[in-house]
Amino acid sequence: MTDISDFDAPKPPAWFGAAIPLLIVLLAAGFYWFITNGENDSRNEETLNKKIRLSGKLSAGQTYYIFASEIEVYPTNIENEAWDQGKKGPDIRYSILWNGNAVFESITKDDSLIADWSGLSIELNWKDLLGKSVSSDDAIKAGRIRFEKSEKIEIAVEDVDVAADDDVGRYEIEMEKLSIGKNEFKLKKTASNAIRKITLRVLPMSSNIEDLANIMK
Amino acid sequence: MNVTRFIIAGSCILLGLGLIAPTLTISPQAGGITWIIKIIAPEELAASTYSILGVIQKLYQTNDIFLAVLLAVFSVFSPILKLSFYWHATSLENSKKFNSTIQIIHYVGKFSMAEVFALALIIVVIKSFPGGSTANLEWGAYLFTFSVICSMVVSLRLDSKRG
Repeated sequence: MTDISDFDAPKPPAWFGAAIPLLIVLLAAGFYWFITNGENDSRNEETLNKKIRLSGKLSAGQTYYIFASEIEVYPTNIENEAWDQGKKGPDIRYSILWNGNAVFESITKDDSLIADWSGLSIELNWKDLLGKSVSSDDAIKAGRIRFEKSEKIEIAVEDVDVAADDDVGRYEIEMEKLSIGKNEFKLKKTASNAIRKITLRVLPMSSNIEDLANIMK
Repeated sequence: MNVTRFIIAGSCILLGLGLIAPTLTISPQAGGITWIIKIIAPEELAASTYSILGVIQKLYQTNDIFLAVLLAVFSVFSPILKLSFYWHATSLENSKKFNSTIQIIHYVGKFSMAEVFALALIIVVIKSFPGGSTANLEWGAYLFTFSVICSMVVSLRLDSKRG
């Protein structure tokens, strides 16, 4: 029977030592990756919290921006006649009414059955190109409302004409039905309504332009 | 030789960290219309921080395979290979083998772009970009540079022992 002593044990090949630098590099890189991976997790959690803040139900007493990002109307008006005497589509404008007062009026979107608004608008002058700072309040084009459970808001849509504006329809929404972000309402054609769909966007007053951009996504 | 191995180990640690740590942050600006871009597409002006491995990964993902391989070979594999030969050289007793290993190291060193890469990073930072965009070196670049310096010190120490 033969014993292999330490002296007799096979020695690792000479190149084996050359692998040590590679191991050290991998260990150092792995150590850093292990540490920063935890940091990234907490950063992802922060992003998630922000997303949560930009979704969910409205809170009582809080103020919010509200605007219609899209309004679709039926191909004919409330009298079942063609819009603009069959020449062109309707020129759509909407207003938001809260407690019986118009708190916001949109710009008019010409010749559209589906009109859209970004909720973001900046008036530019040539001199502004030299540099201008824009606050969220200046740039966000939306109505401002305070959420109370029992209250309602009303969206009034008009077809803007040179002679007289025609009613497209009015839709009353209980504030409780609204949530932060996108809210869609599909409507039936009636004798007093030619609105097919309203897409409302709601965001907290504390939101900035980046939040608005996220909600518009 | 123990001191030399200690420096090689230090260089390896710095290289490992330098490859994965943030190396360069680029903050894009669009001159006079920066404020408009900030509103319309803020993500376009978001500062981007890259590590060396991050750049290689990004090049690979954007199908710039040639550049990705080039950067990986010259800035990652070649410096590691050089450090491996240094380590191997420190264990050699035979002066003939030692000299031939040093010759191989000098040959491999020609393909190591680590020094060039560190210099290129500094030039990129000094160079001014159009529209007020800026590039800032992050701490990973300094680790990478120190790794290069340690590697140079090792090279000098081994050269001085050459017969």
